[in-house]
Amino acid sequence: MSHMPKKNRWQVCKHCGKHVHELQWAPYFRCPFCHYLQRLSVPQRLKISVDPESWQPMVLPKQTSDSLQFPGYQDKLKDAKKISGESEAIEIGTAKIDNYPVALGIMDSHFMMGTLNTAVGAALKQIMQVSLTQKIPLILFVASGGARMQEGIYSLLQMNSILNEWQALLDAKTLVINVLTDPTMGGVSASFGFKADYVLAEDKAQIGFAGKQVIAQTSHEILPANFQTAEDLLTHGLVDQIVPRERLRSSLATLLKLHRGK
Amino acid sequence: MPKKLEEKIALVRSAKRLSAQQVISQLITDFFEIHGDRQLGDDRALTAGLGFFHGRPVTLLGVNRGANIQQRQEMNAGAVRVTGYRKALRVIKTAEKFKRPVISMLNMPGADASVFSEQHGQSQAIADLILAMGQLTVPNVTLFLGEGHSGGALAFSNVNKILMLENALFSVASPEAVQAILKNQNQTRDASEYMPMTAQQLAGIGLVDGIIAETPAKTLYERIDAGLLAALKRLESLDADALKRQRQQKFARLLSC
Repeated sequence: MSHMPKKNRWQVCKHCGKHVHELQWAPYFRCPFCHYLQRLSVPQRLKISVDPESWQPMVLPKQTSDSLQFPGYQDKLKDAKKISGESEAIEIGTAKIDNYPVALGIMDSHFMMGTLNTAVGAALKQIMQVSLTQKIPLILFVASGGARMQEGIYSLLQMNSILNEWQALLDAKTLVINVLTDPTMGGVSASFGFKADYVLAEDKAQIGFAGKQVIAQTSHEILPANFQTAEDLLTHGLVDQIVPRERLRSSLATLLKLHRGK
Repeated sequence: MPKKLEEKIALVRSAKRLSAQQVISQLITDFFEIHGDRQLGDDRALTAGLGFFHGRPVTLLGVNRGANIQQRQEMNAGAVRVTGYRKALRVIKTAEKFKRPVISMLNMPGADASVFSEQHGQSQAIADLILAMGQLTVPNVTLFLGEGHSGGALAFSNVNKILMLENALFSVASPEAVQAILKNQNQTRDASEYMPMTAQQLAGIGLVDGIIAETPAKTLYERIDAGLLAALKRLESLDADALKRQRQQKFARLLSC
């Protein structure tokens, strides 16, 4: 996808700078030298997470309205669509994992850093309703820089309206699993990000509320080396487990099995 | 003559701006302050407690920036820490138990940006408070005294009725952050021209239920008193389910257009 050059079969690892062949990247996109994980596109994520041929995508309930007509936003959306191949920063649908049916939401950081806007928020609320009405567990792959600034207060109000929808899942005792991937920040982290029965994180994923730069500038603190990594969150008791991407599918399958798929 | 955004910003950030503590001392009798989140500490940015408002017990959550350097330091200039959200959560649960309405009053830049708050789960604390305010079985009302931005401010304002002082601001991010994006687009106009964030704009889209005029200053407390009382009066006939539904519909209606 975006980070896979069209012609060149070799790609520089963003983390260690070594050249890695595409066959060495696939299918988990972990650098064989430094073990850095690339951010995945939705098709890449699906390929390693769900049973083959089981993915049933759903049409997003709402397209971005751009009611504020924020300068430059239309161009950004156009670029994001081209880069990511997605219509918005999320795909929703149903699939099976080890034959257990699940409702899925997969966010794509290649689309305006997976930011939460009216369309992404509406999609999340929709997939929560699907999980509720079909009585199947909800799994969210979270990847987001936070609320999308260009839609202003309408992006902010996704936080409370999504949580409101989430309450219905809680009342119905629906199994919810969130997988926090790089990055999980801001208004996403501070709304539905951690609202799950199980919160898993991919190794080295950046997870937090305020951005590192903002914290450094505001507090004048020297940030700890591991700050806002999944590993740091595990140490502080904020996530249940760090699950390497290679084991994620089997971990999800185990959790589903332990709950008998409900 | 309506004020420009930069004038509004200067006003709400001034040391002389009306604080939640001042409002509490003028309008609330027998105020009893509650400290601490019972886990990590006590956030001084948040004044929490209970008292009588027109003879009726209410719970109060007031976010203050501080009026002098010392207070600003103590109060983290109004940037509520993880301990503040957890204190608020604790206090509103008690309000629910004893069926008291909750009034929050805000003048805060947004959530705290520090290693401490991050490492102790500020994200979850904010999410918990947003959720709990939305599901509250008693009426809740917010008065924006100054500004309030990001999820940090939303945590205190996911309520039945929102009131704003005439120059107050509420936005997804600080006007400076919005301005920075605009600058990248070579736009030099006010951030608020593109993004509703003033009381007047937010009333226009149906988020804000009432604007309280700031002049004449002499009778400001009386207008705040009347505004809060009227907001609570309109909610007193609603039962727990109706209150939840009213909140849900208020925000859903706004997002559907």
